[in-house]
Amino acid sequence: MHITPDSIILFQLGPVSLNATILFTWCIMALMTVGSWLVTRKLSSTTRLSRWQNLLEVLVTGIRDEIREISGQDPGRYLSFVGTLFLFIAVSNLLSIIPGYTPPTGSLSTTTALAVCVFIAVPIYGITQKGLAYFKQYAKPSLLMLPFNIIGEVSRTIALAMRLFGNIMSGTIIAAILLSIAPLIFPVIMQAFGLLIGLIQAYIFAILAMVYIAAGSRVRQNKIDASLQNKKGEV
Amino acid sequence: MLIDWFTVIAQIINFLVLVYLLKRFLYGPIIKAMDKRQEKIALRLKEARKKKEEAGQEAELFLQKNRKFDARHEEMLFQIKKEVEAAKAELIKEARSRVDADMDRWYGAIRKEKETFLQDIRKRVARHTCAIVGRAIKDLSNADLENRITSIFIERLQNIDKNEREALAQAVQHSTEGIKVNSSFEIPGESAKKIAQLLQNLTTDPVDVRFEILPELICGIEVKLHGRKISWNIADYLESFEESMRATIEASG
Repeated sequence: MHITPDSIILFQLGPVSLNATILFTWCIMALMTVGSWLVTRKLSSTTRLSRWQNLLEVLVTGIRDEIREISGQDPGRYLSFVGTLFLFIAVSNLLSIIPGYTPPTGSLSTTTALAVCVFIAVPIYGITQKGLAYFKQYAKPSLLMLPFNIIGEVSRTIALAMRLFGNIMSGTIIAAILLSIAPLIFPVIMQAFGLLIGLIQAYIFAILAMVYIAAGSRVRQNKIDASLQNKKGEV
Repeated sequence: MLIDWFTVIAQIINFLVLVYLLKRFLYGPIIKAMDKRQEKIALRLKEARKKKEEAGQEAELFLQKNRKFDARHEEMLFQIKKEVEAAKAELIKEARSRVDADMDRWYGAIRKEKETFLQDIRKRVARHTCAIVGRAIKDLSNADLENRITSIFIERLQNIDKNEREALAQAVQHSTEGIKVNSSFEIPGESAKKIAQLLQNLTTDPVDVRFEILPELICGIEVKLHGRKISWNIADYLESFEESMRATIEASG
């Protein structure tokens, strides 16, 4: 039994190895891209639209509304990043219902990669928004707080990666363990729970990413802090 | 070690590629379509508002026209009613005048008929009465009555006033055929002479006096002279009797 799909090596050429994580990620990417292309190649701008278009519109609108609510800004610039985070993690987790499939989000490498992306995106968005004045916030309320702010920044990134990894990996492991103990009903229930947890984790990851980015851009600071507290309370 | 750094890098690249792909194939087109739809809806709403306004204006115009039409209709109806009333009144007046005329004509005809009838009655009554009286008088008449009539006539001739006398004298003078004395009986010779004498006295010229018997006179004598007449006869009395009788009939009719 593999704790992480990284250990399932399909192809190795020197340091370059094609493991299950990368393969399934490509599958998900292909699925999402082709699916999106199939739906969006004949979009309707009238009031009559296909079910798939409707689904995608609901998803995109939901994500935009959520971003707008958290950041208090136009969601356009954050949509691609935060939306893709949510959709990738959600699809990756939901597909775990398919036998033989191992979610890439159950790999610490993947979650780390995503957390690193967030870690990098926060200052990029902050600088884009505020310029180099962005870095001043690390020295607030005083310069003494600089190391703590940096530690906080790093630790929350690690927490982000670990939380997702832990949740998804544990779900997969629990399902596997239960299969060996009580193979009839419990695994199904746990799978269902796994789906729910997967979706919730996707939501949490995306929301936290958005909260970090919004906090970095320091727009409507009070509101962002309040919503951050709320979201943490919910989690 | 759970973290495979090669995989981490590969996943970062994968994620960034996915971000690009989804932006290219999902968010971009979907947002574009939604914006387009929103624009279309906004446009349609705008058009609908415009059309609603137009419809409202048209409805208002139509209402105004309707009101005008109603007012015109009322006015025309009123006018027509007025004209009809006038025509009706005119027709009634005409009919009434015709009826009045007809009634007048009928009343005239009835009056005439009544008149004719009354006259006829009168004539008949008078004729019959006179016939009866005449017959009775004729039956009763004798020499004494005739003498009496003659003497009354003579008396009347003698007592005519001056104007009458002059008129008679003129009439006698203009008369070419002479003086005709009509009587219902034969006047005795003495009396005839006296009458002739009295008539002769009217003028200086010789007068031709002729005596004739006319049974219609009914116990009477008359002298007719150029439109002048001196007489005494029962017919005169009968005439006044007839007059009073006619008045009585009319009053009762």
